[in-house]
Amino acid sequence: MKHALKMALLASTFAWAPIGASADTADGGALIGKPWEEITELAKGGEVNWFLWGGSDNINQYVTEFIGGILKDQYDITLNRVGLSDTVEAVNIVLGEKESGVNDAGSVDMIWINGENFRTMKQGGLAFCGYTETLPNNALVNWDNPAIANDFGVPVEGCEVPWSKAQFAFAYDTARTENPPRSIGELLEWVKANPGEFTYPAPPDFNGSVFVRHVFYHAAGGVDSLLGDFDQAKFDEVSAKTWAILNDLEPYLWREGQTYPASIAAMDQLYANSEVNLTFNYEPAGVGINIDNGTFPPTTQGYGLTDGTIGNTNYTIIPFNSPNKAAAMVLQNVLLSGEAQLQKALPDVWGTKPAIEMDRTSADVQAAFDAIVVHPNVVPAAELAKNALPELQAAWISAIEKGWLENVGQ
Amino acid sequence: MHQEPVLTRSFRVLTGIVLITWLILPLIPLAIWSFAKGWFFPDILPKTWSLRAWEYAFSDTSGVIDSLWLTIGISLAATVLSILVGVPAGRALGMYKFRGKEAVELMILAPTIVPGIAVVLGIHSVFISMGLNNTVFGVILVHLIPTLPYMVLVMAGIFANYDPAFEAQARSLGASAFKTFWYVTLPAIMPGIIVGGLFAFLVSWSQYILTLLIGGGRVVTLPLLLFNFATSGRNDITGAIGMIYILPGIIILILTAKHLSGRSGAVGGFGQI
Amino acid sequence: MKIFLLLLPAMSIIVLLFFGGLLIGLMRSFNYMPVIGLTDPDFSAYVAVFTDREFYLSFMLTFHIAFTSTVISSILAIGAALLLRRSFAGRAIVNFLFQLNLTVPHLVGAIGMLYLFSQSGSFARLAAEWGMITKPSDFPALVFDPYAIGIILQYVWKEIPFIGVIILANMQSIGEDYESVARSLGASKWQTFRYVLLPLIFPGVLSASVMVFAFTFGAYEIPAILGANFPAALPVLAYRKYTDVDLAARPEAMAMAIVIAILSAVMIYFYVRYSRRRVRG
Repeated sequence: MKHALKMALLASTFAWAPIGASADTADGGALIGKPWEEITELAKGGEVNWFLWGGSDNINQYVTEFIGGILKDQYDITLNRVGLSDTVEAVNIVLGEKESGVNDAGSVDMIWINGENFRTMKQGGLAFCGYTETLPNNALVNWDNPAIANDFGVPVEGCEVPWSKAQFAFAYDTARTENPPRSIGELLEWVKANPGEFTYPAPPDFNGSVFVRHVFYHAAGGVDSLLGDFDQAKFDEVSAKTWAILNDLEPYLWREGQTYPASIAAMDQLYANSEVNLTFNYEPAGVGINIDNGTFPPTTQGYGLTDGTIGNTNYTIIPFNSPNKAAAMVLQNVLLSGEAQLQKALPDVWGTKPAIEMDRTSADVQAAFDAIVVHPNVVPAAELAKNALPELQAAWISAIEKGWLENVGQ
Repeated sequence: MHQEPVLTRSFRVLTGIVLITWLILPLIPLAIWSFAKGWFFPDILPKTWSLRAWEYAFSDTSGVIDSLWLTIGISLAATVLSILVGVPAGRALGMYKFRGKEAVELMILAPTIVPGIAVVLGIHSVFISMGLNNTVFGVILVHLIPTLPYMVLVMAGIFANYDPAFEAQARSLGASAFKTFWYVTLPAIMPGIIVGGLFAFLVSWSQYILTLLIGGGRVVTLPLLLFNFATSGRNDITGAIGMIYILPGIIILILTAKHLSGRSGAVGGFGQI
Repeated sequence: MKIFLLLLPAMSIIVLLFFGGLLIGLMRSFNYMPVIGLTDPDFSAYVAVFTDREFYLSFMLTFHIAFTSTVISSILAIGAALLLRRSFAGRAIVNFLFQLNLTVPHLVGAIGMLYLFSQSGSFARLAAEWGMITKPSDFPALVFDPYAIGIILQYVWKEIPFIGVIILANMQSIGEDYESVARSLGASKWQTFRYVLLPLIFPGVLSASVMVFAFTFGAYEIPAILGANFPAALPVLAYRKYTDVDLAARPEAMAMAIVIAILSAVMIYFYVRYSRRRVRG
């Protein structure tokens, strides 16, 4: 009760102060190229507010306990993990601040991000850019890899730092389904043969959107003709086919396609309770975590498609108006370290694929990484990578999402 | 009272039972989920039980306990402010007739008629330029919009039945203004303060969208945490946080329940619109 | 002067925060915001709102949710209050649960409803146990459904006690004398209720149901948890527009917020007028 009173008092008396005012390193330009020791010195004793999707207890635990622990013990920085339901909320905060002229006292120090949200940040001048070379662990990143140097076709250009790689994969329940469809073509047949057993989250849900892109690639007869800048004529041609396919499919979907799940989490629930018989995710390791925490039946098995699945990289970004840029840079550097990337790759922690080149890390880290045994129900990253498809440029993606809402969703 | 026929009485008891079941029904799966590990259709009860969700909820990582205290602090602050501001206003509206009274009443009631989402978007942009967004104080302020009308309504109802003659007597016997208020006015209006305060607390306690927008994700009250997990499909953790979230309300109700029923007339203030 | 001082603090908060917020929203909805360099007001946001088919579908859905929930909960709350003012076995428990329910936040109720009524929820599982259905899709769609049944069930669950507590308090302060007189003059039970008790408790029912209507018309989190993806309830739609990364959608969100405010006020005006006439006539 004493604690309660204290908190209540705190809440009411110190309420004027914005939560956590600390050593101000809003001037990012001054940090670029500085010796790393000076940056860690500036960051010392401060805090960093990291906004990221908060709906997964194991990711929360990794971030708060493992990463937060390193920051506290080695750098004396307090990490505030701010949980979001949707990344766009954080982008929106920065956007609102810029509009209101808050240029050096923003409330967001770092966001877990990629794709359209990154495009918004970069094009809107909302990102702190050009500092990545200053991070010592930047050396572990292979910027020559176009899948790292471009985030959904948008050149990264030093505006964000890679965190993990992911590749889309399906999952089915071996107890319920014998032969799941192994390509988009097979899937379309399978849905018609098994009415009511499939659906996909409505775009702009991240995973629903990438599913529609797989159909789009299928309709185009392959991704090759879609790479490069947005091409209206090509889009019109392929999208007409795509909407025809999806509308044709609609009567065979869950609830006859009259409604779509609003999120991938909602669809996972449908899958877990046998309302539908397939699910998918951009993060294939989620199958293992979901089996272990009881969200999925233990007989769930992940798998890739023979005609390939789309892969991407996700990143962390520092907003232009973050007052704690030094601390955010230290955090990014920690995230890039071999130790942090290794920990994240452990199947019982998260199981996600490192965004750095593991052969550039220390021998110990490499040995531990090589010794990782993937969760038996998760499709191994190496196997998925054999049939990897690239992401389209962000302009294509927004056009597809918009088109889906107008032609299929309504 | 004449004796009721058996049929009528059993009908009453039956409807009573249906009502009881209906009232607690939605809380049951929530409570079960908090102890479940994997609970799939068509299992009536989970096959495996686990304390994992509760362990997570009480861990430092989840922030649930910090958030619980913060939510209590915000709701208490909003309640106290509503009382301080609402009691005088209720007195003015309950005891006096004056020009423009109807307009004042309408303005004070407006927030109960116009949904919060309609105002909070505008407030949000003002708060950003004032630096009040993302602060606990900003959240408390914005919670006053829905809580204050309840407080004023209840107090207006109380003061409408209040006899100021006692105050005059106390003053004429030499009591100071403060003593008069403390020993005469306050005891008389206490039931209203308790009921109005209870409503104000509960209204603030359940705010989601106002806190989300004004708090900018930085002021993490329990409903925000709950929403995170509810929309990510972790039903076990959702269940545990949900149980923690309803507990303080129940405790406060137990402390104030006798004022809600009974003849105090405090709740009757709602008949004033 | 004294009255002015008594009202000053409350009025300042309401005027500054509530009407201030409304005013800023209004300005913004006309694309007028000198502080950030917008000096040419226009109607484009309203044009965008009123030419969008989803807006009309959302409005109809939201109206249906608010109206249906309010009417059902008001009627059932009157019934519950009639039940609870007499003594019977277990009355104390119902009374307590009634009030307990008041303290449970809507969000918790919405999640509970989802677990109860989804096609693989508790009721579907019971139905499967009793052999009434074989797979989840045999169970009727009560959540994420086009008729918003799950949302309405949640509101009814939560608002019966809210309205009921207010009616009960009214009934207790009214007492039973009027009814006894009516009965002794030969009025039937129904007549006593319809012509004596109902008009007496009516002001309380009306103001409680107005609050319920306004709440159910403007609530975000319940339709966000239980509602279908398309069309979404108006508040969900407004919030989506507001958090759209395309800044151009913000005035649209504001316009929608203003429209919600106006519609809510207008509908409540007619609701009050109509129901007053029905009960008194």
